[in-house]
Amino acid sequence: MYLLQWFGLPHEVEGGKPHLKPGPEHAQPPSMSNGGLLRWPAPLARMCTAPWGLRPWEKPALLAPGAAGTAVQVAGKRDRPTLLPPLEESDLEEQFVKGHGPGGQATNKTSNCVVLKHRPSGIVVKCHQTRSVDQNRKLARKTLQEKVDIFYNGENSLVYKEKREAEKKKQERKKRAKETLEKKKLLKELWESSKNIH
Amino acid sequence: MEIGGRMLWPLLSGLGRRKGTRGWAFSSWQPCRPLAGLLSATELVSHWTAVFEKRGIPEAQASSEYIVAHVLGAKTFQSLRPVLRTQSLTPWQLQYVQKLSGYRLQRMPVQYILGEWDFQGLTLKMAPPVFIPRPETEGLVEWVLEEVAQSSCAAGAQGGPLILEVGCGSGAISLSLLSQLPQSRVIAVDKGEAAICLTQENAQRLRLLDRIQIIPLDVTLEGSWAHLLPWGPMDLIVSNPPYVFHQDMEQLAPEIRSYEDPVALDGGKEGMDIITHILALAPWLLKDSGSIFLEVDPRHPELVGSWLQSRSDLSLDLVAVRQDFCGRPRFLHIQRSGPQHGCPVEARPGPQPARVPG
Repeated sequence: MYLLQWFGLPHEVEGGKPHLKPGPEHAQPPSMSNGGLLRWPAPLARMCTAPWGLRPWEKPALLAPGAAGTAVQVAGKRDRPTLLPPLEESDLEEQFVKGHGPGGQATNKTSNCVVLKHRPSGIVVKCHQTRSVDQNRKLARKTLQEKVDIFYNGENSLVYKEKREAEKKKQERKKRAKETLEKKKLLKELWESSKNIH
Repeated sequence: MEIGGRMLWPLLSGLGRRKGTRGWAFSSWQPCRPLAGLLSATELVSHWTAVFEKRGIPEAQASSEYIVAHVLGAKTFQSLRPVLRTQSLTPWQLQYVQKLSGYRLQRMPVQYILGEWDFQGLTLKMAPPVFIPRPETEGLVEWVLEEVAQSSCAAGAQGGPLILEVGCGSGAISLSLLSQLPQSRVIAVDKGEAAICLTQENAQRLRLLDRIQIIPLDVTLEGSWAHLLPWGPMDLIVSNPPYVFHQDMEQLAPEIRSYEDPVALDGGKEGMDIITHILALAPWLLKDSGSIFLEVDPRHPELVGSWLQSRSDLSLDLVAVRQDFCGRPRFLHIQRSGPQHGCPVEARPGPQPARVPG
């Protein structure tokens, strides 16, 4: 489950573009007397069965008024978790607008724009919706997932299916409203004509 | 792109005369093309980007975008509704952008100019000189969340985990943990009064006061740890302690040097002073197998590893090192092994001379 891999993956900077590669967290220095415990995020195995984007214990609780972004579960107006095909982190290339400074406390960086590329399809998504790098990364992945879905599945993509469904519902409502209106008209005419007879 | 100067001159020079101190802000103004009409957000961003670039202000475009977006009620320029980007700004809005941009020309960090910033989906108040949360630190919070999800004892059995944050600053780490771990409780300490007040205020705004204790405390003072004992042994200690090497302090950008509290940054000779204090008091405060999560300088994993070896009395192991999103080793997971020390008040675990590893 890629959500957990983000910050655990070694990045290689090639020509200023970090690539995400799967890999274990670094072990502590070999000189450690304890022989070193290499911890691979166990939730990876557990998370694969969970709905995409949502950890079992995670609630998309918004406590800050106007807080940017929410749990990735919220995709448009859908209430159920979207079951889009997940993206492979190894297919993604991520680019941050980052300075060349030392980073961390020694730097004050505000450009939190994330540029995310899906290499197999060539689709690139740019996200600067929030002031948080973390949130932008999540949102970029969500947007990219939807675009990749459309790219590969076209008419059969979840996005298009839901659009059609929404459109269908809208048409049905319109039809019913029209029928109701005609019934009322008919009843009125009948009443009018019955008045005339007497 | 130059803005129609004639429309703005009376507005801006009027401001200048009233305030009397902003003369320098107009020195780069050049009367330019005839009145082009009212200004849109996009035009204003272009203008201020150019001004900032000319004055050597870093992140000229980002700064300009954040300021204009903020004045228009959005967090980022990209999130601004497209129709708002082309609409004309009101004179009040223009004035406000002018004022905020003036601060940027003085190298004030954008976060202080806006008085707020986002961290892990929370919007927090920012105020100098309290340390501004760095984007890397979001990775620290993510890691802690992962570990808590994994560790059955810490997660929610009787309401947990119980977390100690050392050096809470604006409250970013504590409050983001609290908001994502509904059963957790946090004790947040800081030696800075302004930090204590700001964490308090942010906790109040986020309605998290019921699960946080905010305590003014200097963990480097001998015996300070004793003040934390009544809260009971903790599941986790989390910290982004001052870790800048003292010799690097003077190379910091003006944004940092002139506005942020140096005490929140300076970690002493090898940036290790506060880190070692935290590690030294950890065994007294942590439950068996409790964990410490730290953000550090990329040179620290090795230094901390060696230091822990020289202090085997602490029964702490460096279990893992994780990189930040820029690929630098940035986070440490240290775990306590072995039974909890009895905590006689008279025994003082303060820093001891380094012992030769046996």
